[in-house]
This record gives sequence, structure tokens and C-alpha cells, in this order.
Amino acid sequence: MASNQTLEKIAALISEDREIDIDSITRETTFEELGLDSLDTVELVMAFEEQFGISIEIDENLRTIGDVADLIDNITG
Amino acid sequence: MINSISSLFGIRYPIFQGGMAWVSDASLASAVSNAGGLGIIASGNAPADYVRAEIRKLREKTDKPFGVNIMLMSPHADEIARLVAEERVPVVTTGAGLPNKYMKEWLEAGIKVVPVVPSTGMARMVERAGAFAVIAEGGESGGHVGELNTMALVPQVVDAVNIPVIAAGGIGDGRGVAAAFMLGAKGVQLGTRFLVAKECTIHQNYKNKVLGAKDIDTIVTGRRLGHPVRSLKNPFSRQFQKNEYDSTMTLKEMEAFGVGALRRAAVEGDEKNGCFMAGQISGMINREQTCEEIITGIFEQAERLLNGAFNG
Repeated sequence: MASNQTLEKIAALISEDREIDIDSITRETTFEELGLDSLDTVELVMAFEEQFGISIEIDENLRTIGDVADLIDNITG
Repeated sequence: MINSISSLFGIRYPIFQGGMAWVSDASLASAVSNAGGLGIIASGNAPADYVRAEIRKLREKTDKPFGVNIMLMSPHADEIARLVAEERVPVVTTGAGLPNKYMKEWLEAGIKVVPVVPSTGMARMVERAGAFAVIAEGGESGGHVGELNTMALVPQVVDAVNIPVIAAGGIGDGRGVAAAFMLGAKGVQLGTRFLVAKECTIHQNYKNKVLGAKDIDTIVTGRRLGHPVRSLKNPFSRQFQKNEYDSTMTLKEMEAFGVGALRRAAVEGDEKNGCFMAGQISGMINREQTCEEIITGIFEQAERLLNGAFNG
């Protein structure tokens, strides 16, 4: 499971970039629940890539904020 | 009108015919390719066998370049993705998502991949994955639509990527083509205009509805489902809109209401229960022509306008 540190960074980015209340973002929250569509997700993934210096492939397994955090932790090892 | 796009794709005019499910078959696509544009076979939700048969039929009618459009949400997307690589289809356009997981196989097969994108972010994503060009499609188009309109979307995509941009959505004649070039596009994609092409095999009722449509006669439904669709106003689309505001109607029921509606329009010509997808330029279309007449007419007008643009 992804570290809380990664999770917090992601939550902060989503909150800032999409103007969403940071308290509503938890590990289990889905992009859908935050009202984010596939185009928002693309923008966010690019922001995550920039922040973490990695390349992320978007697929249907990325549903929750935790999924993204796990993937990022896996890539950055 | 030869420019960078037409020479890159080996076509005479920088125009793609949009991949429209139940509409863009071998008959229409081969006629467009023979007329100097890029004809595109649409796979929609059809199985791979259908697409293979259409590719073979097209190849009997033309030796010009052509494309296949893959709707990425189709249950058959994986097998059609393999099929286009096996068949060495010259151009693949994609809709409804990111085609990145297929890109490697397609690029190895020498396919030029041209995704339809509704935003700059999607355009950058597919450019990075190896797209040859992108189609920036604004919400004036028929069928599945994005949020941005062509006037706003095209120049922003042009600024965001280094690959050629093809403009789509709201282009119906040479004026639209000229405007698209002014926005920075290198080519155009038209769908609705080809609905009334003589080589288009859809039901005559569909063509008549497009020919009779006015500017205000299209409507977008399905926003609540997350995949809005623009179609002509008729009993079906009006009921769909009512369903959307009916909070007792579940998403499942709404989906079920729409199943088969495009086929009912294109194949059966069912004016009541069909979904006649068409763009906002429907009101500009007033006669049936051959693909050749459509394409040459559009580009004669566009060239005249572009040459005279600075001379008043």
C-alpha cells in the first residue's frame, strides 16, 4: 500500500489543480466521486508525472486516489 | 489543394471522412478515397469480422489510402486493434478514449495513428505515445461530443502539440475549411456532410432528415450518462432528454433506452425511434451529391476564400 506521504502529495495536487476540498480526498475516494471526468484525469496524471518525474500509463485500473498512489510508489520504488 | 497533410497521407485533398458507426462502410469510404480524400471505415460496436469484410470490399474498389476508425469503448476493440495491424491498414483513427495500449503494435505495423481528441491534455498524451497527427473535434459535431467547441479547441491543441492537427466539428463547406486553416489546422475531418453523399448507404429517411434540418434542429442528450451525443431532434431524442431530467429513471434504464437507436435510424430509417446522429452544420446541407462533387466543391470554395482573405 502506498505511503501516506505520496497520498498527501497527490491529494494536495488534486486539491490545488482542480479546486477540490482536500478533506474530501482519501485513499478510497474515486475520481468519479470527486466529480472528475476522464479529461480531468488526464490533466492530473500529467501533473503527477511532472511532480514525481515519472511516466504513468492511464488504464481502467486507476479508479481511486489510492490506486494512483500505489502505482507511483511502485514506479519510484 | 496539396499541403503537408495531403502529402503525408498520400491523398489529394487534406480531408478525412469521419468514422461514423452504421454509416461509414466500404461504399462511402472507398468513394471518398477515390475522390482524393481519406475514406474511413467505422468499426463502432461491430465485430472484427464485419470490419475485415468492409476492408476487403474497400480494397476491391480503390487502391488509394484509407483508414479505419476504432471506437475504443467497443467490446470488440481488442480484436479490431489486432485486425488493423494484420491488414496493414494505412491509417487508424480512434475515438472515446486513449489508444495508448495498442500504439506499439500499430506503429510496428507501419500504421499512421490519428486519435480524435477533445482536449489539449489528451492531445499531448497521444503525441507522446507516437500519434502521427490528432483530430481536434469540437462539440458542433454529430455523435459523441466533447465540451469544447472547434473555434476554441483547435488553436489550443495546435499550440499544445508538435504534430499536425486536423480540425473537426462544425465544418460543412469551404468556409469552414478555410476557417479551420486559419485556426492552425493542417487538415479537416467532415462527417455530417457525407451523410447525404450518393455513395452513402444509410436509409433515405436519414438523408431526408439531414436535408430538411435547420440550424436549431440538433440536440445533445446523454450528458447524465457521461457520454453526450448530438443528434437531430425527433421523438426519440426528445424523449431521451425528458428521461435525463427524470430523477426516477436510473442510468441503466437510460442506457437501455438508447441501445440500438442508431441502427434503427441508419438501417431502418425509423423516424420515431431512431437516433439520427448529425452535427450542427446539418442546416447548411441542402442537396445530395457524389463524394467527388462534395470534396472538389468544398476545396474550390476554400481556396478561393483563402486566396482572397486579405483582399476583402
